[in-house]
Amino acid sequence: MNPAPSSKAAKVLSQAQSLRWELGAQFHEKLVESIYADAARLADRAVTRPDGPPRFDLDRSIDRLVTSRLWGVPLMILLFALVFWITIVGANVPSRLLGSLLIDQVYPWLRDTALQAGVPWWLRGLFIDGIYLATAWVVSVMLPPMAIFFPLFTFLEDFGYLPRVAFNLDNVFRKAGAHGKQALTMMMGFGCNAAGITATRIIDSPRERLIAMITNNFALCNGRWPTQILIASLFIGALAPSYLAGLVSAMAVVGVALLGVGLSLAASWALSRSVLRGEVSAFSLELPPYRPPRLGQIIYTSLIDRTMYVLWRALVFAAPAGAVIWLVSNITINGFSLAEYIVTFLDPLGLFIGLNGVILLAYIIAIPANEIVVPTVLMLTVLTARVAGVGSGAGIMFELDNEADTMAVFRAGGWTLLTGVNLMLFSLIHNPCSTTLYTIYKESGSLKWTAIAALLPLALGFVVCFFVAQVWRLFVPA
Amino acid sequence: MLHCALQTEPMAAAVSPAAALALGLLAVALAAACAWPRKGLVARWQAGRRGARRVRAEDALKHLCKARFDGLTPTLESLAGAMAVSLNRAAETLDELQRGGFATLAPEGPRLTPDGERYALSIIRAHRLWEQHLAEHTGVAESEWHRRAERQEHFITPQQADSLAAGLGHPTHDPHGDPIPDPERGYVSGAGQPLTRLQPGHWVRISHIEDEPEQVYAQIRAMGLYPGTLVRVIENDAQKVRVWCGGEEQVLAPVVAANITAVSVPEAAETEPPGTMVLSQVPLDRSARVVRLSPRCRGAERRRLMDLGILPGTVIGSEMESPAGQLRAYRVRHALVALRTEQAALIQVAPLESAAGTPRSGEPSLHEPVPA
Repeated sequence: MNPAPSSKAAKVLSQAQSLRWELGAQFHEKLVESIYADAARLADRAVTRPDGPPRFDLDRSIDRLVTSRLWGVPLMILLFALVFWITIVGANVPSRLLGSLLIDQVYPWLRDTALQAGVPWWLRGLFIDGIYLATAWVVSVMLPPMAIFFPLFTFLEDFGYLPRVAFNLDNVFRKAGAHGKQALTMMMGFGCNAAGITATRIIDSPRERLIAMITNNFALCNGRWPTQILIASLFIGALAPSYLAGLVSAMAVVGVALLGVGLSLAASWALSRSVLRGEVSAFSLELPPYRPPRLGQIIYTSLIDRTMYVLWRALVFAAPAGAVIWLVSNITINGFSLAEYIVTFLDPLGLFIGLNGVILLAYIIAIPANEIVVPTVLMLTVLTARVAGVGSGAGIMFELDNEADTMAVFRAGGWTLLTGVNLMLFSLIHNPCSTTLYTIYKESGSLKWTAIAALLPLALGFVVCFFVAQVWRLFVPA
Repeated sequence: MLHCALQTEPMAAAVSPAAALALGLLAVALAAACAWPRKGLVARWQAGRRGARRVRAEDALKHLCKARFDGLTPTLESLAGAMAVSLNRAAETLDELQRGGFATLAPEGPRLTPDGERYALSIIRAHRLWEQHLAEHTGVAESEWHRRAERQEHFITPQQADSLAAGLGHPTHDPHGDPIPDPERGYVSGAGQPLTRLQPGHWVRISHIEDEPEQVYAQIRAMGLYPGTLVRVIENDAQKVRVWCGGEEQVLAPVVAANITAVSVPEAAETEPPGTMVLSQVPLDRSARVVRLSPRCRGAERRRLMDLGILPGTVIGSEMESPAGQLRAYRVRHALVALRTEQAALIQVAPLESAAGTPRSGEPSLHEPVPA
C-alpha cells in the first residue's frame, strides 16, 4: 500500500477536525435552519393563495364553540354519548339476527348434514362444534357494533372534530405524561383494542405512542361489554329492588368502564416515569380545517380498513381457539376430561383471588377473543359441575336466553357475589386478546413492549382481584 | 366431582383473609422497595457498581485531571470529596494509581502522569459524548443526563466513543457547553468568564453551566438559562446578579451566578429585536415573528418544530386556548398547530405591533429573515 495518500488523507482529516472547533458548536443547527428557510422561501414563492379567506370565519366560529371553556367538554360528552348509544341500540337487532342465523339456523343444519354424511363424531365436533361455533360467535357479537361504531367515529374524524377533542383533553393526558391524541385512540379502543392500537399511528412522538399502545387495553372493548352487562345484571342488579335493577347494573358497567379510563391514565403516568423515561418525545397536534365529510371515503375506511381488517384477524385467531376449546372438553383421561383436570388444578388459585378455575381456564383458552369468554365459562361450568339438562354437550359453547337459567348454572358452579364482582374487574384488567397483542407487535416491532403490554395488565388484574377478595372476606362474612 | 376424586381442598378456606391481606401488602411493599426509581434496591445495586475498583480509580483520575486544567491543586481531601468516599479509600485508590503508573505523589499533591492524563481524558470524553447522545437521541430528562453519564462513562471503550462521536456528527461541546476532549487536541478549555465578572448593560451568551452541584444546576435550569442562551446583564454586585433573558428578568445569587460562564456578544445590542419574549407569552389574537428556537430545544423536539415551519422569520398568530389551559393553537403558515406551554416557551419571538388576529390574510409576507 502506498503510504503517501493515506498520510495526506490523515492530514486533511486532522485539519477538518481542527477547523470544526472554529466553526462553533451551532454549525449543524445553522445548516439545518438555512435548509428549512430555503424550502420555506421556495414554497412561499411558488404557492399562491386566494386573497379572501373563504370559510375561514366558519372554521373559526366552530372552533370557538367546540373548544370553549363552557361548551367544549359538555358538547364532547354529548356527542360521544350519542355515538355509543347509537352503537349499542343499533347493534342489538343485527347481532340477534346474525346470531340466530349463524348459531340457531346454520349450525344445526351443518350438524345434521355432517351426521347424515357419516362424518366421524370427533371430526364433526372439532370442526363444527369447535371451530365453526367459535368463529360464528365472534362474528355475530363483534361485527354489528363495529360496523356501526367505526363509521360514526370515522365521520367525526373526517369532519375534523376529533383533533379538537384531543385539544380539549390534552391537559389531562399531559399530566399523565401522555399525548392528547391518546383520548382518541382510547375512544377507538372502546370499539376494539386492536383498532385502537392501529390508530396510535396518529401519535407521532415515539414515547407517547408506546404509552398509548400499552394502555389501550384498559379501554373496555366491545367484546367485553356483553360480559360486563350480563354479570352486572345477574349479580349487582339483583341486589337492588327490581325497579332499580336496570339502572344499578348500568351504573356498575359504566363504573367499570370509567375505572378503565382511570387505570389507563394511571398506567400512562407510571410508564412515562419508569420504563419509558428514555424514549424520545416531541409533542405536536395539528388542527386541520373542517370539511364536509366524504361519505364514500368514510365507508371505505371504516368498513374495509377497520372493521373487516379487525374481523379477519379475529377470525384467524378464533378458529384455533374453537378447536382448543372443543379438544380440552372432549379429550378424556380416566373418565375425566382434560378441562376438568385443568380446572381442578386452577381452582385453588382461582378461588383464592375470588374467581375460580373455570374462569381462569376460560381466559386462557379464550385469549383470541373476549367475545367467547362467557359462552366458554357457561360450557365449562356445566361440564365440570356436571349440571344435567343444560347446554348441548362437552365442548359446545352456548348462551342461555333466560337470565334465571344462566344464574342457575353459575350457582351450580359455586359462584358468589364476589365471583361476579371479580369477574367484572378481571374482564377489564387482564391481558389483551391475541389479535390486539399481534397488532401491538406489528405496530411497535418489539417483543419487549408486546410482553409488557400483555403482562402489565395481567399482573395488575391478579393483584386487584386478590386484594378485593381478601378485603371482601374480611368485611363480608360468608 | 373431580374435587373429591383428586382430594384437593380449596386454598381459600385454608388461608385466613387477614393473613393473606397482610402478606399481599407485604409483597407489594417489597416489590416497590425493589423497583422504586432511584431509591429502590435495583437502583441501589446499579449505583453500587460504581463502588467497583476500576470505577473508583477512573473517578479519581477524572478529578485530578479536571483540577489540573482548572488550575487547582488537588489534595487527598478534595479527592475523597469528589469521589464521595472516605479518606482511607481515597488514599488506597491513589496508591493503586501510583502503582499503575497513572499518577505520582509530588510534594504539592498528587499529579497525573502523561499516561494518566490520556486515560482521564478518554473518560471525560466518554462522559460528555454520552451526555450529548442523551440530549440529542433520547427523551431522558435533562436533570438525569449527568447522573446517567457518570454511570455510563466507565463502560464506553475509546472505540465506542469514536463511533458515538461519529454518530453525533463529531460534536465539539456537550449539552452543558463543556468542550469534548478529543484524542488529538487533548483537553480544550472553555471560553468565557463567570457571569459574576461581567459588566451590567452587556449582552452575553452563556457558554457553560456547571452541572454540579445538582441543586444549583436545577435552579439555573428552572430560570430558563442554558448554554447558548443570549442574556443581558442588568445589575451585577455582591448581593445579586440581575439578567434579562427570554422576555423575563431573572435574579441570581452570586454563588449561583458563579456557576455560569458566558462570553460577551457586543453586536447583539443591535441585532436583538426589542421586547423579545417567548411564544407562550404572546397574548391571544396577537402575532409575533420568530427570532430563534431556544438552545435548550434539542433533538427530535427541535426538528419537529422546524418541520412545522417554525423558523426564524416565520410569523405566528396566537389563536385559541384549550379549556384547561396549558395548550394553545397557533396559526403557523396557514395551518393551525397546537403547542403546549412548555414547548411554546422554547420559541423566542418579537411581538408584532398590529393586532393581527388574522395573519392568514393580513400579512403580506410570511417569511422575512431577521438580520443575523
